[in-house]
Amino acid sequence: MTARDFDVVVIGAGVAGAMVAYRLALSGANVLILEAGSQNPSRAQMVGSYAIASIKSPHSPYVQSEADTKAPSPDSPNDYYDQVQAPQPQYKSTYERRTGGSTWHWLGHTPRMLRSDFRMRSRYGHGPAFPAGFVDWPISYDDLEPWYCEAEKEMGVAGSDEEWNDLFDSPRSKRFPMSPIWPSYSDLRIAEQINGKRFHDIEFRVRSTPSARNSALYDGRPPCAGNSICVPLCPIGAKYDGSVHVAKATTAGAALWEQCVVTKLEKDEDGSVHTVHFVTYGNVAQTVTAAILVLAANAIESPKLLLMSQLANSSDQVGRNLMDHLSKSTFGLAPEPLFPFRGPPSTSGIESFRDGEFRSESAGFRISLNNDGWSRKSAPYAEIIDGVMNKKLIGAELQSAVFDRVTRQVRLSCSVEVAPDSNNRVELSATTDALKLPRPKITFSPPEYSYRGLAQARETLAEMFRLIGATEVDLGDPRAYDGAGHIMGTCRMGNDTKASVVDAFCRSHDHKNLFIVGSSVFPTVGSPNPTLTLAALALRAAQDVARQLGARTAPGTTQ
Amino acid sequence: MNPTESIRTRSDLLRLLCEAAELEHGIACSYLFAAFSLKRDLTEGGMTWEEQQKVRRWAGQLYFIASQEMLHLALVWNLTTAIGGTPYYLRPNFPQSPQYYPIRVPIALEPFGLRSLRRFILYEHPRALTESRDIESLLNSALAGDDAEDIVFSSIGQLYQLIESGFQSISEKELFIGKPTQQMTADLVHFPDLVPVVDRASAVKAIEEITHQGEGTQQDRDDSHFGAFVSILNELLDSKKRGSPFCPARPAICNPSAGLERAYGAKANPIEDHLAMRVAALFDSIYSLMLRMLAWSFEFDSQGVEPQLKLFCQTAIDLMPRVLLPLGEGLMRMPAGSRYPGQTAGPGFGLTRHIMLPPDADNTMRLCRERFTELATLAQELLRLELSEPAKNGCRHLQQISETFSA
Repeated sequence: MTARDFDVVVIGAGVAGAMVAYRLALSGANVLILEAGSQNPSRAQMVGSYAIASIKSPHSPYVQSEADTKAPSPDSPNDYYDQVQAPQPQYKSTYERRTGGSTWHWLGHTPRMLRSDFRMRSRYGHGPAFPAGFVDWPISYDDLEPWYCEAEKEMGVAGSDEEWNDLFDSPRSKRFPMSPIWPSYSDLRIAEQINGKRFHDIEFRVRSTPSARNSALYDGRPPCAGNSICVPLCPIGAKYDGSVHVAKATTAGAALWEQCVVTKLEKDEDGSVHTVHFVTYGNVAQTVTAAILVLAANAIESPKLLLMSQLANSSDQVGRNLMDHLSKSTFGLAPEPLFPFRGPPSTSGIESFRDGEFRSESAGFRISLNNDGWSRKSAPYAEIIDGVMNKKLIGAELQSAVFDRVTRQVRLSCSVEVAPDSNNRVELSATTDALKLPRPKITFSPPEYSYRGLAQARETLAEMFRLIGATEVDLGDPRAYDGAGHIMGTCRMGNDTKASVVDAFCRSHDHKNLFIVGSSVFPTVGSPNPTLTLAALALRAAQDVARQLGARTAPGTTQ
Repeated sequence: MNPTESIRTRSDLLRLLCEAAELEHGIACSYLFAAFSLKRDLTEGGMTWEEQQKVRRWAGQLYFIASQEMLHLALVWNLTTAIGGTPYYLRPNFPQSPQYYPIRVPIALEPFGLRSLRRFILYEHPRALTESRDIESLLNSALAGDDAEDIVFSSIGQLYQLIESGFQSISEKELFIGKPTQQMTADLVHFPDLVPVVDRASAVKAIEEITHQGEGTQQDRDDSHFGAFVSILNELLDSKKRGSPFCPARPAICNPSAGLERAYGAKANPIEDHLAMRVAALFDSIYSLMLRMLAWSFEFDSQGVEPQLKLFCQTAIDLMPRVLLPLGEGLMRMPAGSRYPGQTAGPGFGLTRHIMLPPDADNTMRLCRERFTELATLAQELLRLELSEPAKNGCRHLQQISETFSA
């Protein structure tokens, strides 16, 4: 047998890569994690950077001049991607290249996919309006369920068993590790006014949203203290992020090499892939070899690297079926104070519209009740400026007017399923970054199926505002949407080697020692936030990697 | 406490539940006092930006642990009413005698620091801990050379072991004579982890919840109160070892009382500054009213009075973060008086002499409304004076809550 530097090289220290590395290191494998970013500066320093940043964006705590050129993290649709700009760039989600990955600035919500989300074609593919790109997953909800439990335990998910057991025929076999994050006062008041009411024959029911956010002391991390800045980072580490499992992996013996940007994976004559080429920030080219490679970048960087390496693409599916969720924020003024700006930005939602026969024609969606007032469209001080400049108020009158309005601000939002479309894709751009590596060229246009879902969601949000008696309702342009930060697809999983990139265990069809983990493997996406599902898939894949190495990491073996 | 004894009568069980209620209640006050003392702002001095982040995390943990102690008190009240008792909220004022409870560690009001953390670890020390020697060494290093008290490992877990023996040994049919509708549930009070106690199984579940959160399990100590305090103490000791001038806490006097006439404990420290004394007295009055409203809500059958019961619970819980917390922190930014140079005041958590609220719902509502009006008037008078900013906020919030309650 050829001597390799490591048993396994994991490329990318985000949540998926870190979990795989942790499980494999625990099983005794000699593991290396290669990460383009780094774990510096410290959490406290980043809180400081965010506090003084003049523009508060998801990337603002993480700004670092060298990393931002050598391993750029997009902070807007315009600053790294090569995508058509007119009339506006249509792919809007961004990510963070840093040890721990984009979970540093995620919201932390962890709903599971539904049973039907894994069977879109066979369940709903019977009408002319059903998009051709929809497929069934090669695995079922039941196959993934034990791994969902495992991922919830690893990340530390707080949730309500009573509210979430058997949602749309998707039962839970284990209890949540922690009881739910308490719903906000606003959630409770809105629930009182809408629960049990129906819209398009679907019943509103507000549920607490499961979150990888400590509601108790868990895994050596503190409970949420309501700092309210989960996005872009939790100042105390109560919200889970990938750095938790990076630390666990290195404690278990894995090596972590940071600021190493992988440039190419090299194929041997027998079709296996053992050699990883990378450059340091000083532009020193190096290589490392391993028995098994695990590609765990994200759904843009992973296909980009495969395309740069000309690997795993006999199906021509690498980079295709890029997805996100269409997110839309709507705003209203409640008739009573609901006291936003306290606790996590969102603690409850409505799941009722995620599934139903309507999905043969239009997309399902989740609704979030939010605790962040109108901060997505204007900061609270906009009310002060309005009071002073337009209403000519000062002193106690101004204070009272600002209090009256800011305490009544409500934001409701939706997250709409995007149907897979092979024309939505990541390719290699002719433009390059500071290390002369191609930037991602992105082509994306939401399918009409998803726009119809967006329209339904907008109407539903309007009905909710009506039920709570809100005024000054702002639903935005009907076809306008934001990115949800849920970058998915591009290395789809399937049984058909001609139509997919990886098999049911995330192994490349073309190269049996190459695994691809992360949300890039999702063939379809449903409407839930993707991180729990990608973590469950990664843990499941880690078992297969370990099996290939001769070790075991089945659920429950890491107690 | 002899862990080998077992409880065989309802009266003994009720007596032990009262002891548990006193302990949970007193310890919660002790944790809150320490949390109030933690600095928030860099302008308070004594910490760098990085240290401030640490202090914020500690404050979050302390407030969270204190809230779990309040949950424990609520669970003890549910256990009590399930077997025919009434919620018990009395306790000796601070500082309490070390001999008063079998844990032999005095429950006191002290600012955050090595001494208070050392005590907190002893309060939450697990029943069976194989690493006790390590903990003893850690605790000794915390106060080496100081007037350290003896280390006595006698845990609150042992008390709950005895309580559980009563629930296990007394006939289930005979024991559970409280009405299920007397049980406080998460539907009535915004306390999601509250377990209604209606039989032996639910009683054991409630007891397990309390002990698990406090001392943890043998496999999972780090995520218990005990584990958290050990971790915080280690962090604080590390800072000191590095020679950092880090000073995370405000210089509050220990065991303050709102005046000499309120002879709390023999060793209480009466606040001498007149204004701080008035704020501390207002704190005590609100705290006492809040406890009486909660006890009333836990005592009686909810049938027919659900709206009033919900209002009482909501108002009582609202008072904690919106009034008691800012007043408590505000007091720690006000001088304690000339007898305590350089030191600040603090809340005494004084249980002032007053009646239990009566069974008659209308009369109870009337008494509470009148009291809220009186307290809001006191707050109004204080707002005309030079209060610290948090204390001002507490007074304003009290006025708002009083208005809502009386509407």
